[in-house]
Amino acid sequence: MHNELVSHLNSTVSGCNATAVTPEIGDSSIFVDASHIKAVCEELATGEWLFHTLQVITGTDYEDRIEVSYILCSYTKNNELILKVKLPKPTSDSIPEIDSVCSVWKAANWQERECWDMVGVKFNGHPDHRRILCPEDWEGFPLRKDYVVQEEYHGMKVNPAEKINNADHHFFKKIQETLEDPKKISHSWKGE
Amino acid sequence: MAIELIENGEAIKSDLLTLNMGPQHPATHGVLRVEIKTDSEIVAEAIPHIGYLHRCMEKHCEHLDYRGVIPFTDRMDYLAAMSMEWGYALAIEKMLGTEVPKRAEYIRVMIGEMQRLASHLMFFGVYAIDLGAFSPFLYAFQKREFILRIFEEISGARLLYNYYWIGGVWNDVTDAQLRRIAKFVEEMKEELKKYHTLVGENKIFIDRTKNVAILTPEQIYSFGASGPVLRGSGLAHDLRKDRPYSLYSELDFDVQVGHGEKGTVGDCWDRYHVRMREMHESIKIIEQCLDGIEEGPVMGKVPKIIKVPEGEIFMRTECPRGELGYHLISDGGKTPYRLKVKSSCFTHTSMLGEMAPGQMIADFVATIGSIDIVLGEVDR
Amino acid sequence: MSQLTPDLHANYAENAKKYEEELTLKGWFRNIYQTIVSVSKGMFITFRYVWAEKAVTIEYPEVREVLPENSRSRLFNDAENCISCLQCATACPVDCIYITATRRDKEAEKIKTKDGTPIRLDLKQYTIDTALCMYCGLCTTVCPTQCLTHTTDYEFASYTVDNMKYDYLADDVRAWRDRIVKD
Repeated sequence: MHNELVSHLNSTVSGCNATAVTPEIGDSSIFVDASHIKAVCEELATGEWLFHTLQVITGTDYEDRIEVSYILCSYTKNNELILKVKLPKPTSDSIPEIDSVCSVWKAANWQERECWDMVGVKFNGHPDHRRILCPEDWEGFPLRKDYVVQEEYHGMKVNPAEKINNADHHFFKKIQETLEDPKKISHSWKGE
Repeated sequence: MAIELIENGEAIKSDLLTLNMGPQHPATHGVLRVEIKTDSEIVAEAIPHIGYLHRCMEKHCEHLDYRGVIPFTDRMDYLAAMSMEWGYALAIEKMLGTEVPKRAEYIRVMIGEMQRLASHLMFFGVYAIDLGAFSPFLYAFQKREFILRIFEEISGARLLYNYYWIGGVWNDVTDAQLRRIAKFVEEMKEELKKYHTLVGENKIFIDRTKNVAILTPEQIYSFGASGPVLRGSGLAHDLRKDRPYSLYSELDFDVQVGHGEKGTVGDCWDRYHVRMREMHESIKIIEQCLDGIEEGPVMGKVPKIIKVPEGEIFMRTECPRGELGYHLISDGGKTPYRLKVKSSCFTHTSMLGEMAPGQMIADFVATIGSIDIVLGEVDR
Repeated sequence: MSQLTPDLHANYAENAKKYEEELTLKGWFRNIYQTIVSVSKGMFITFRYVWAEKAVTIEYPEVREVLPENSRSRLFNDAENCISCLQCATACPVDCIYITATRRDKEAEKIKTKDGTPIRLDLKQYTIDTALCMYCGLCTTVCPTQCLTHTTDYEFASYTVDNMKYDYLADDVRAWRDRIVKD
């Protein structure tokens, strides 16, 4: 199915550069150019393949790129498709941008808002581009791999020290000091 | 939209009234806030605000091993926790290529359908409360209590089970428990008829729900709705039939769709009635499982430390509230690289903004009830 | 009616007209008849529950529910049988188990657990923060000596969060064993 779809896309949407990835384990996917995502989605939704529902938009943060996966499915043809685009890795002053597909599927509205909120991908042309799960003035995008929780929010400390369990950690440190051979101690905390 | 009326020579400023429904409103099924702009009794605009229960479970999962994710999936839809686990377990099993023993599959289907019964009973009770009837809630809870009790005996917990493990189920079911389930299912058939007379045929209930919040197939497709909301609009799509997983291809049951018996196809009454008829189908499936269940192990061969090979998978299952999808991306390590959950409740909540305008406020309560959302799954 | 949004009101009226036929005198009486019949049918069922059905609730503090045997409630660690393998702490998804152990001297007396596993580590600390615990049961299934178990004790509310932290080497917590753990 994927190879037919790739040739179909390449012939109808010029310049979309569709390529299929078919691994042995797991689901196959199709990569397209980020600049043509709207045209590709319109073709898939209204053309002969009838992908008339958008299930989910997943943003994934990789080391060198951000990938946005659009999972489409067709109830009448009983198909599903993972459509992917690659976006450049965000730097301190740039945010990856892509065209919104809200005009194709209404489901995209909230899914894109979630993707913006969690991964920080800006959707150009979105009618209501706000955060959805986090508060409007929250800093950072939680599902990026380099996310650090902000220290203070509206004068409240995030993760205050008195709520972190210290007593048990102190116990471990005390034993470490009293015992002459620290290699003899085993403990259950990660990263210490 | 503000206009000025001149009354007795003085200008009166008038505007739409903004009303906040929630987050602690009893009819919003959890902590959902809907900002409604009303003109007299009619809703002009409704903006749902979600995120009050947001725990960023997807981020948690990136730091947990594959077995440790299962208790977290429970906490999404806490009213149908078994179904939440099932989809995740299936996704991992498909990636690992694990064979699940036949007995475990029977138990999974049976327990999954029991969970559907419990979840729909909850819907039945709460929807009746939303519309002003109190006693159906008590009757539904009485029956739901039996299901929770048997789940507690089988899995050890009442609500958050951690029962479907990767490769099978945690605990075996005894013959005595199977006999009790068989007896319960027999009672349940009579009970459902009673519920239909009590609520479904009630003139007041029908008048409150018919022709309210009609969803057309185009809207359903565009929003990607699923489950009873989709089937209520007359579309026969059920993953258990269309993309059968587990044992569903061997079992005999029908897909129930709305026919618009009391009003128009796709109204609140249809969505209610699809759920009630689905309970009959669940009973049919449970009975077939009780007949077909065979002896054997309940846990397949799974490595001690699970490492999912590199790749990705999108696994959809039919949960009581709609389709649940797990998009798992693995980099070959001990923890998921990315686990995205497609929640049907999230999709259905986004439809509120489209369904509400032009309705009375009282009908809006009926609308929220009819899509049967659980905010734990919306916010994750 | 207000004039703020005339479209909205017109639409509402139009919809109402579309879906509902005009109310005639006959229809009015039919509505009343249907309401009385369906409500009285419902009331008949409700009254049956008053007399014909048994009560299902229990009066809690006087009558106590006994939980099923494999119910997962308060955790108990039998510290004498613990070999400090840290498997429970590794399996715990919320990291609420704190263990510290030191290696036993080679000259020290050799001890074993109940099922014969030699103990090579001295357990110095075994604390579970029950306030964090989510009772998933992953820790008890990996325990090789079956010393960490879920009990069926469900009455352990406390006034402070600190009291929810159980030190299983302390005497007062060990004293539960007689009360709740059945051999």
